[in-house]
Amino acid sequence: MRLADVDFTERDGSVIAAVRGEIDMSNASALGDAVGGATPGDALRVVLDLSRVNYLDSAGIHLIFRLRQSLRDRDLELAVVIPPESPANDALRLAGLMGRMEIARTLEEALGT
Amino acid sequence: MSQPETPVELRPLPPGTGQIVLSPSVPAEAPADLVRDLYRLSDPALSELGLDQFLDELLNRVRDALGVDTAAILLLDREAKQLVARAAKGLEEEVEQGVRIPIGKGFAGRIAAERVAIFIADVDHADILNPILREKRIRSLLGVPLIVEGDLIGVMHVGSLTPRVFDAEDLALLEVAAARAAPGIERARLYTALEREHRVAVLLQRSLLPRGLPDVVGVPVAARYLSARDEVGGDWYDVIELPEGRLGIAIGDVVGHGLGAAALMGQLRTALRAYAQEGHGPSRTLELVDCFVQTMPQQPMATAAYAQFDPQSGKLALATAGHLPPAIVGPLGPRSLRVTPGAPLGAFPYGAAPEQELTLQSGEVIVMYTDGLIERRGEPLELAIDKLLELIREASSAEEACQLAFDGLVPPEGLDDDVAIVALQNAPVPNALRLALAADPKVLAHVRRAVRRWLSEYGTGAERSGEIALAVSEACANAIEHAYAPGPASFELQAEVIDRDAVFTVRDWGRWRPARRGNRGRGLRIIDAAMDDVRLETTPTGTTIVMRRRLGAG
Repeated sequence: MRLADVDFTERDGSVIAAVRGEIDMSNASALGDAVGGATPGDALRVVLDLSRVNYLDSAGIHLIFRLRQSLRDRDLELAVVIPPESPANDALRLAGLMGRMEIARTLEEALGT
Repeated sequence: MSQPETPVELRPLPPGTGQIVLSPSVPAEAPADLVRDLYRLSDPALSELGLDQFLDELLNRVRDALGVDTAAILLLDREAKQLVARAAKGLEEEVEQGVRIPIGKGFAGRIAAERVAIFIADVDHADILNPILREKRIRSLLGVPLIVEGDLIGVMHVGSLTPRVFDAEDLALLEVAAARAAPGIERARLYTALEREHRVAVLLQRSLLPRGLPDVVGVPVAARYLSARDEVGGDWYDVIELPEGRLGIAIGDVVGHGLGAAALMGQLRTALRAYAQEGHGPSRTLELVDCFVQTMPQQPMATAAYAQFDPQSGKLALATAGHLPPAIVGPLGPRSLRVTPGAPLGAFPYGAAPEQELTLQSGEVIVMYTDGLIERRGEPLELAIDKLLELIREASSAEEACQLAFDGLVPPEGLDDDVAIVALQNAPVPNALRLALAADPKVLAHVRRAVRRWLSEYGTGAERSGEIALAVSEACANAIEHAYAPGPASFELQAEVIDRDAVFTVRDWGRWRPARRGNRGRGLRIIDAAMDDVRLETTPTGTTIVMRRRLGAG
């Protein structure tokens, strides 16, 4: 059984990777590879939408940092969507990362629309 | 037709073929001891040697009896209308090269087409198709047809490297050998074919049934399958892991037996599994499988039942397509579910299976089974179901339910029908959790669900429960990273309540490795923040982490 699924859509040069399910040590790095792999070279940026993620832990946080780094190496920007009052937000709060990570609260905010 | 008193009549075939038809034969002239030797060959026991050994033995005896240099058997390939070399002595190349002779052509081909014995005095001057006969420098040949109940099944021929005139006695002997051998060949061939089909069917079926069952913490499952005494059938079961920790169990029965039924079973099982994994409920899943069945050219008919269980709520959703009702046993006593069955799969264009929802109480076991388990000729179905319920009423686990049912209903010699049974238990949540887990990241999701389920027994609120599950999962991930053992690596999780505190202990026997940059350190930070008290003890033999958090609704 897959813990999480990713849907990819493109909007105005942005690749939106929307994850549903749980992200932990068992699938974090595969998810990161999938998002990196699905992003064409001419994309402007990647939006990792974690709104519908119902579990995220340190492996998931690590995925965000790693993905941001690998996209930066390709001159791509990563925006991360984590709504307040979400399981992903709880993980950031417990890890003491609130206010220390650039997070968009909605997809619209991430897309700058 | 043998007419013993008539002498052998030689009738040349068309000029230039060098062939002579010999008829009729005179069996009485065959030496008695040699005949006896050949007779023994067709013992059923001998034919069960398998075709290869049977033919091998037969040709040895024929060669000895006739004092010839070569002996060969070609069997008819009906589809291709050819004779195929199947066994040979002194002429092994014929078989090795898979010589094929068209019916009606050459020496063996004419024997087959005209169903007569043919003698060739001199191969060099005869119409011989098979080059091997010339290459081996065979000079004279004698061949007879192999006939079973009026059907030609092949040709047997013998050859001599020196010129030889095969006489009436030789022919009689060869005909005796042919007459006794042909049914044996046919039987052995049939037996081999049946045996092969059975073997293939059993293999196929095994490959189509689940190899192992998902190991979901807190939801033990068990299953049994037994093929019918003589034949495989179309019964199947399945246990399917679903999103969000839910579990599906399915059972089904394709009408029919043998290879075809087993293959159909595989397709239906796959279809059901695929739709179930998509997240469809039982009714919709069966409806989709039905649509799939309707498109199959074989137009199969099958019954099936599918249930989804949510361990967090204990809710069970269930639908059946013409299948027997599941049984439930447990602390509340046994019951057979009164399910409104939908039509069997493939029966009607719009067969719908109504969905029923119920709660599986703590400790209860749901048992799904195929008709082979309970149906006995002359016994009303209601009684048979009652008998099953009575047998499994004391079962305290899924495994025990399967075992009791099989012990009580499947005789040691097996049954005429195949049998499948699958059971799932809403295992009681123990006061203290004690789990031995494989050091595999895949167990983490199960751990979180088990912890949440355990916490819900203490009325823990969602937010608190989520934070605790996160911390425990992080601690387990730590243990998995540490895991380092020559054997299968494992770790332990324990949960208990001490003075209104939930206390979790994660113990591994791995070697402590420095935290990878950022990642593990962040995990420990999360644990610290989520729990009220954390103690980490690292020794050369392993690491133990003990975490406490006050229980409460918040």
